[in-house]
Amino acid sequence: MNRPQNGNSSVKKHPTFSSLLIGVAIALGGCATTQAVEQSTLANKADPYENFNRTMFGFNDSVDNYVAEPISNAYKWITPQFMQTGVFNFFNNLKNVNVVINDVLQAKFSQSAEDTGRFALNSTVGVGGLFDVAKHVGLEQNDEDFDQTLAVWGVPQGSYLVLPILGPSTARGIPGAVFDTAANPASYIGMPVQLVSMLNARASAEGALKFIDEAALDPYVFTRESFLQWRNNLATDGKAEASSDVDDLEDDGLNDAKGAADTGKNLNADNKELKQASYSFNTVAQSFEGTAKLFEDAGGKVDKLKQSKRFK
Amino acid sequence: MALKNVRLLIVFMFLLFGTANAFAEETATAKQIVEKFQSELIAVMKDGKKLGYAGRYEKLKDPVANSHDLTKIARIVVGKEGEKLSEKQQQKLVDVFSQFSIASYAHNFKDYAGESFVFDSEEETTRGGVVVHSHLVIPGDKPVKFDYMLKEKGNSWRIINIIANGVSDLALKRSEYTTILQREGFDALITKINEKIDNYSKQ
Repeated sequence: MNRPQNGNSSVKKHPTFSSLLIGVAIALGGCATTQAVEQSTLANKADPYENFNRTMFGFNDSVDNYVAEPISNAYKWITPQFMQTGVFNFFNNLKNVNVVINDVLQAKFSQSAEDTGRFALNSTVGVGGLFDVAKHVGLEQNDEDFDQTLAVWGVPQGSYLVLPILGPSTARGIPGAVFDTAANPASYIGMPVQLVSMLNARASAEGALKFIDEAALDPYVFTRESFLQWRNNLATDGKAEASSDVDDLEDDGLNDAKGAADTGKNLNADNKELKQASYSFNTVAQSFEGTAKLFEDAGGKVDKLKQSKRFK
Repeated sequence: MALKNVRLLIVFMFLLFGTANAFAEETATAKQIVEKFQSELIAVMKDGKKLGYAGRYEKLKDPVANSHDLTKIARIVVGKEGEKLSEKQQQKLVDVFSQFSIASYAHNFKDYAGESFVFDSEEETTRGGVVVHSHLVIPGDKPVKFDYMLKEKGNSWRIINIIANGVSDLALKRSEYTTILQREGFDALITKINEKIDNYSKQ
């Protein structure tokens, strides 16, 4: 049975930040184009760099099709299932070091004790983490990382970003990932282990990627929405308001009108601040677009390479 | 005489409450709607291999249509873009969307490995909706949370949204559908949905 990969319900995030972005869009748009810009921004409050992100998504997709997927398939073909499970368990167990650190940083002390027990049990009885013994005694794997810790500390999620090779992230996710990489013992073992770790990650994502491929009408939007909802759900430990969800969607028209009014107020109040912000956003957007172009070219080259291979 | 009146009253009250009870049994609660649908789904999963895709589709057709408010869901997922659609287009969308919903159930719940749905709790939302919290137990795997959002339709309840492990199906679809309508238009949307239904039927 296939299941959707996780996510979360409330798409409401940081009203001030997104209204700032809308404000910027209006400020940048001028009279003639305000309508169009406002509309597209309202549709994707969390994704102001959609063009850049779509390009990157396309690039990652071709890298996955031509490089990661074939290697991952080969790995799955030559490696027996029990070894794949062992490899998955091994890296998953090392990740518990991160989980415990982030438990403590989020003041989840009893969970941190549980996760420490989990790590100790699997590292010893579970032969260095190859076997997930803890699961059988009722200690489920928890999912905590530094991005969630930052969320608990009140750092806003920021814009949605698709990173080259690494895939979906957010402005907050980048420092999160840097911290987690530094805290994970697997990062210090060396190259061949890193490679196996990457293979394992791709092989584990297989189900989710297949589901997206089958179910998504627009794979980019599908990935973005499920990623953002899933991250939000993890950060709030599933407590995001699921109930208000439909009501919000239903009187969307009403909310939008209200949002626009709020934005107007903001615009008047902090006009100067907004102008400054819009300038810096503009610069960032420009550099993003430059990079996006580079990646588009690279994606094109990969495609060409594949084609020339086929014709040989 | 007085005694007779009292007796009559008792008989009358009995009748009154009796009919009231009968009515209460007829209108299913939100929880009953969800549980009925879940048990029908599990039954199809159990026979999944034998039925094949076409068989699962046929068996799920009525259960999905009777438990979900597909017309309303189709209207919500196109959002404000829906106002730009003609009546004929809206009808087309509801038809294709309904097929797609049944097809994705038939495709994704194709076999059975001891899964079962467990009811957790039920809560009323501020605007007259009900959320039924439940989870799917999968042997040897983490359970998946399924939250069903229901609204009253006529004298019964209908599922409007399913939130699986925190991912709202309605919000996800809505982003997709409105984006496609904005970028590529109505015909492209219908073509894409039909392609997906086609792919589901082939696997």
